[in-house]
Amino acid sequence: MTSKKQNNKCRTIRTWLVRALSNRLGFDANWIQNHIADCPKCQRRLAALGKVDLALSIIKSQPLKLDLLMRANTQAVNVLKHSLRHAPKAQRLKTARPEPKLLERCAKYAHPAANVAACITIMLLMKVGIFTSVDKFHTEGRKVVKQYYTTRLGQDLSDEIFSS
Amino acid sequence: MAGKAATYSIAWDFALAQTVDNAQRWVLTAMQRYGQELITMLWRILGNEQDVCDAYQDTFLRLAHYENRSKPEHVKSYLFRTAANVAISMLRRKMAQRRLSATIAAGIQDTNLITRNKNDLDSRNLQENLRACITQLPEHLRNVVTLRDLAELSYSQVGKILNISAATARVYRCKAIQLLAVWMSREKEERQ
Repeated sequence: MTSKKQNNKCRTIRTWLVRALSNRLGFDANWIQNHIADCPKCQRRLAALGKVDLALSIIKSQPLKLDLLMRANTQAVNVLKHSLRHAPKAQRLKTARPEPKLLERCAKYAHPAANVAACITIMLLMKVGIFTSVDKFHTEGRKVVKQYYTTRLGQDLSDEIFSS
Repeated sequence: MAGKAATYSIAWDFALAQTVDNAQRWVLTAMQRYGQELITMLWRILGNEQDVCDAYQDTFLRLAHYENRSKPEHVKSYLFRTAANVAISMLRRKMAQRRLSATIAAGIQDTNLITRNKNDLDSRNLQENLRACITQLPEHLRNVVTLRDLAELSYSQVGKILNISAATARVYRCKAIQLLAVWMSREKEERQ
């Protein structure tokens, strides 16, 4: 339990450190930008890194055909054993198409869900606020009436009335 | 009597085979669960549909025949590592073939090819260049790049698959990117 807490603390501190360091040492830091502007060697290095980044993003952006999964599954299933080839699951795999993950599917509901959650929170806060105000009003009113009776009838009688 | 014994033997063999087959259903489950991610990774490594299908088939064939048809302890790790290795081997073979055909055709002056090679920002050229450089990376760095950048797995997942910590995976990725940058710019200078 203690080690788990320690680990969490370590992770939090590590995240802060990374954030703090990236603010001071990241490519966007002013002193780095100033240096790069004057240093041809660093400019070349930065350009080379940018080229790798660009190549990776081009590779990632290449769309793959929707039926590729189906074709690959069919080809792979066809070399498996006879009994596996004819299993119902194998038949389903032969017609499988890529589907977005659950998180991706739910992503489009994220904004409306956040709005609903915000509304519920506001309503709850309002309700809590109203009830607190009513309670406060009730207590204050009681105090005023008690004070009135105390001045008119005396302490003993007012205590007797308001003690019940 | 002998005929009866033979029938029992056949029935026993059949039952045994059925049990083994049923026990291997996990291959199909693995295909269903990880197929999509594997296809994406293979497509990004190979960039050719037929090669993707071949590498995918090879990967699952290896999984089905893994150590006397037993199930590996970590199916996902096995699948991703095998698929990446198969794809990289295919890519290397393809590049060697291309190099060979380029040597043969060296005498022929193809002006179109020269202009295409000169264009540094030609996306196809850039992709092929990066793929070629990835195949030259040391295995530990290559594995991290393929899993992190091409399969888009998180560092913790990469760490689990490669049996290293997430921090080590980060360091390896950083080293790999630096190496790729150096190699890619060197190739450009050589071309010039």
